[in-house]
Amino acid sequence: MKLRILLADDHEIVRRGLCALLQKHEGWEICGEASDGREALEMAKQLKPDVVIVDIGMPNLNGLDTTRQLLQYDPHFKIIVLTITDSDQVIREALDAGARGFVLKSDAARDLVSAVEALQSKRMFFTPRVNDLVLAGFLDKGHAISRNEPPNLPTLTAREREVTQLLAEGKSSKEVATLLNLSTKTVETHRSNIMRKLSLHSIRDLVVYAIKNNIIQIQMPPQFRNTTETTLV
Amino acid sequence: MNMDAIAGLPLKVKNLMAVRILLVDDHPIVRQGLRTLLEGRTGWEVVGEASDGLEALDKVESLKPDVVVLDVTMPRMNGLEACRHIQQRSTPGVEVLFVTQHDSPQMMREALDAGARGYVVKSNAARDLLEAVDAVSQHRVFTALARGPQVSC
Repeated sequence: MKLRILLADDHEIVRRGLCALLQKHEGWEICGEASDGREALEMAKQLKPDVVIVDIGMPNLNGLDTTRQLLQYDPHFKIIVLTITDSDQVIREALDAGARGFVLKSDAARDLVSAVEALQSKRMFFTPRVNDLVLAGFLDKGHAISRNEPPNLPTLTAREREVTQLLAEGKSSKEVATLLNLSTKTVETHRSNIMRKLSLHSIRDLVVYAIKNNIIQIQMPPQFRNTTETTLV
Repeated sequence: MNMDAIAGLPLKVKNLMAVRILLVDDHPIVRQGLRTLLEGRTGWEVVGEASDGLEALDKVESLKPDVVVLDVTMPRMNGLEACRHIQQRSTPGVEVLFVTQHDSPQMMREALDAGARGYVVKSNAARDLLEAVDAVSQHRVFTALARGPQVSC
């Protein structure tokens, strides 16, 4: 029986590249393609793929929250997170969300097949940097990755994180309500709770919080970027 | 023009429409995606790939493509600089088409000022790229932000 893979990335051109890469592998098939996290949730519930590959920086519902919600629905989902950065914070969040694979987008052509093979064999796949960080956690408690570490900020509920992302993307309370199938009043209540919990005073503050905490990702023109760093896709 | 219509054309006409394309993006998976899209078009050939601006300049020199599909944000030399160099070297007939994540009129203006003939946003590349390559390969301007395309002579 073929290994069935669901792809979730907001760029069709990236999905085409991923499809071309994965379909070369005998015994694997792409059973579906989603262009945001919300669509990925629906498709995964319907299609029950063996492996789900999710981009972190997707609109409407980012890859980390998609991972959390998928595993909450069914802890047997095997998820590989695709990311543009392997910063400590992103690694920590991906592991904490329950991803079993972590692949840098820039290295996807090299690593993604190995990552899917690993999950197929009930193993995990991480970049060398993730392995170093986990090892450092054993050697030095100061760098430990632990689910028990107190968070830096008050914890938002899954729903509040969804609302935070949509508001930070510039959607109005009414638009958020339509997308999440809630009343506008409920969204406004979530919004006040988020602002209170995080001690934020404006949407501008909320956007900054969302960027700092990888809830949304921003594009940076080349003149503001170090030319040696990994680029956005 | 659809594939059936192209298939029915005489060989001489089809050869006139042949387009040699150089793909420049630092992410191999994006290059792969662009390649599958472009190679679906009869007569179009991806003659080479480069992963940054400097490599692109070498490949433009050696491969002499008709169209360079160029990313903006890349290591070593970004796409805007590479585009300016390509223009300064006045490689005859080479047109630059940007495919970038920057859905911004300012960035589009910079790209055109650098000498590009086309500008397409990566999130809509699957929608706009074929039309854009078609236009720039005939030396027409094609620009498309996320809201939709514009073509001019």
